[in-house]
Amino acid sequence: MRRAGVASFSLSPFLQAGAAGTLAAVAAALALAANDYVAGLVFSTAVNVLLALGWNLIGGMAGAVSFGQVAFFGLGAYFTALLVVQAGLPLAPAILLAALGAGLAAWPLGLLMLRLSGIFFALGMLGLARVLALLANALDLTGGPMGMTVPAALSAAAPAFVAIGAALGAFLLILALLESRFGLRLRAVADDPASASAIGVAPSSTRTLAFVLAALFAGAAGGLYVAHVGYIDPASSFAGTIELQTVLMVLAGGIGTLWGPVVGGIVISLLSTFLWARFPTEEQIILGALIIALALRLPDGLLGGRKHPRFRPPLLRGAVEGVAGAAAHAASRGERAGAVLAAEGLSRRFGGLAAVTEVAFEVRAGEILAIIGPNGAGKTTLFNLLTAHLAPSAGTIRLNGAALARLPPPHRLARAGIARTFQTSRLFPSLTVWETLLLAALTRHRHWAEAEARAGAILAALDLVSVANQYPETLTPGQARLVEIGRALALEPAVLLLDEAMAGMNEAEIARLQRVLRELAAAGMAILAIEHVIAAIAPLAARILVLDQGRVLTSGPPETVLEDPRVIDAYLGPERLDVAA
Amino acid sequence: MGTLVSLLLLGLMWGGVYLLMAQGLNLIYGVMRVVNLAHGDLIVMGGLIAFSLFHHAGLSPLLALAPVFALLFVLGLLIAAGVLERIEEEGPRGELRTLFATFGLSYLLANTSFLIWGGQFQSIPFLQGALVLGPLTLPEGLAAASAAAFALALLLHLFLERTLTGKTIRAVAQSPLGAAASGIAVRWVRVFTFALGTALAGAAGALVICLVPFQSASGPDLTVQSFTLVALGGLGNMLGAWLAAELLGLIEVFAQYTLGPDAATAAFYLLFILFLIVRPQGLLGQAGRV
Repeated sequence: MRRAGVASFSLSPFLQAGAAGTLAAVAAALALAANDYVAGLVFSTAVNVLLALGWNLIGGMAGAVSFGQVAFFGLGAYFTALLVVQAGLPLAPAILLAALGAGLAAWPLGLLMLRLSGIFFALGMLGLARVLALLANALDLTGGPMGMTVPAALSAAAPAFVAIGAALGAFLLILALLESRFGLRLRAVADDPASASAIGVAPSSTRTLAFVLAALFAGAAGGLYVAHVGYIDPASSFAGTIELQTVLMVLAGGIGTLWGPVVGGIVISLLSTFLWARFPTEEQIILGALIIALALRLPDGLLGGRKHPRFRPPLLRGAVEGVAGAAAHAASRGERAGAVLAAEGLSRRFGGLAAVTEVAFEVRAGEILAIIGPNGAGKTTLFNLLTAHLAPSAGTIRLNGAALARLPPPHRLARAGIARTFQTSRLFPSLTVWETLLLAALTRHRHWAEAEARAGAILAALDLVSVANQYPETLTPGQARLVEIGRALALEPAVLLLDEAMAGMNEAEIARLQRVLRELAAAGMAILAIEHVIAAIAPLAARILVLDQGRVLTSGPPETVLEDPRVIDAYLGPERLDVAA
Repeated sequence: MGTLVSLLLLGLMWGGVYLLMAQGLNLIYGVMRVVNLAHGDLIVMGGLIAFSLFHHAGLSPLLALAPVFALLFVLGLLIAAGVLERIEEEGPRGELRTLFATFGLSYLLANTSFLIWGGQFQSIPFLQGALVLGPLTLPEGLAAASAAAFALALLLHLFLERTLTGKTIRAVAQSPLGAAASGIAVRWVRVFTFALGTALAGAAGALVICLVPFQSASGPDLTVQSFTLVALGGLGNMLGAWLAAELLGLIEVFAQYTLGPDAATAAFYLLFILFLIVRPQGLLGQAGRV
């Protein structure tokens, strides 16, 4: 394997960290050298960058857009004020504790709120911020609608330094996360939660961690704000204006990018300071119009729209282990003697429609079982039942002899040894081929080097080395299929479920896949393949199971099944027999 | 006992007003697949226009419904044709762009209202008497507003069900591709629907401002109230929307009576969050996209 291309240029993480550090040093020098006004400007810019980094982490990188991140800004502000006023703490430790408190509060809140999806989460967060504001308004402890005064920091420079430090720390933390396996998981979950869970990544815990960190940053920003203004009340701590500015900063810089919140934060802070001085009453109208203008003219922001692979395949050392190696590891997970995967009496109804009725089968180690049947026979529903994407109405599924729970979380099932591909290819748009395989391999291997070795072997075996650093949108349909199969193989499953894997493949790709499937079976993997291209799967399959109208019509060796008049009937209708006769 | 029945009737009447508030949002979501985050600000704007018409021209809010409806319809046309339909939705996060645009629009409208009408709470003193029905006394204003809201809601329903234009709108909501293949100018249906939804929001505002005072900054609360109803009732489901509106009307009235206005607002949000956590896809199991 070679490092593909020099065309896509990206800075190494160390250079990026250095650049951020330099920027922070320049800002600090500015705050120190210039007057209080400039120091105040540096301060508010740093706080804004911190807010934008937090919003971007959950709304951009984790893909859970929120219109209520100001809830944690307000919590941080109130925690700080209470710690200073009630507990007599100095400002610095109060802010630190308040930020941690906001993060801590975000943990249960995140588990709860992230059960909401899409717009429900976005507006649910808006509601949460409103409820907290009403609470602060109602309580005596928080001073009610009048709020509290807090002894503010004496100079403008000191809080500016702390704010710059906090923003730099947040940036470096996010950079480190992106360079870790968590970064890969986060990108996968943001792209497609269902697909991520199919390769063993738990969407909820991944997003909750991002949510907690985002709250921590917002909480710190709130604490810093209180230290600066020396006053707190519900209206200003939970102000919609803060949410507006934060969203605008992220959109202006580039949502989901690393540097977007920094660049957007600086640009929008300066702009809104200017607007506030010149057009105090029109400021928000202009900011609102700016968001609309961005959506129309610069939807990806100043820095968005370009993707850089963050992980690339290492230079190949020694011989490629081959796909058989990966399979051998996997096969050790399957039961040698009995059935690896078995179903008994499996049924699923959708209202009045019986999609799957009393299906029973078993597949053993080293065996390829093909499932065929006309459109609407229930093949994909059967797969969705086997992979816990749907709950069965009745029946049991056994993996290595042990019955599975009725509806385990899909990511747990994937880790337990059942891997699948989807009927319509579902790759992660923002992950390269290599990153996709690496992510899947990392769910099996704690050590980075082992995961790389495994992903590299699959890359070579499936003939994907030349496209390792490409994104799914640039792949041919056949290549995309192979990547999806590779992704499933990287989980080293005991049983592999292929949903029409050969659809959309050219002859060379089908031949390549046939060879790989033979190797996998020879190494002991159990394979279950739904296929329309009967001629391509029949030579490989030990047995064929025919589904018709949700029931097992027949099953057995290919030569007997394909000659069965009932099968011919199901596919071609009874008229054909008449004609033949 | 008398109080309980009064509260019940009040709640049911409020339900009519809520239904009208939510209908514009529901209609726009159905066709454009985006939650218009400026919906509440449009309600506020409609209400404040009715307020000015009442104070400067002495126009009763019921009569003001017509000019408010027309003005907001034009505003809706401008927003849809000038902004929303021009946003490129292709590419990653493409569908988010329209949502963010309405987020910006919300601030733009709210602060424009602030420039025109200021920040104080406004209300229209309309039909302040009481309707005496045996042992029950009910506010006349609410009864009139509720009747008007129910009438408008019914008109919209008939329009969507019985007229060709209405059927066209429903066709686009159900399948834009299929509608386009049948020769429907999908883009113009979307623009028209947005304008209609905006006009309905304005009409709702003209009625709501007779019942509860609001200010230029009240928009987001009204957006979430309307959205809660749509989420509870199920998208495009008239009966569901009506039941949800009645339910929320009752909850609001009882919470106001027992807990006070702030707690009632909080109750609304908590209910929204809790309900969706129990049923993350909404009542009818249709997940909303961002």
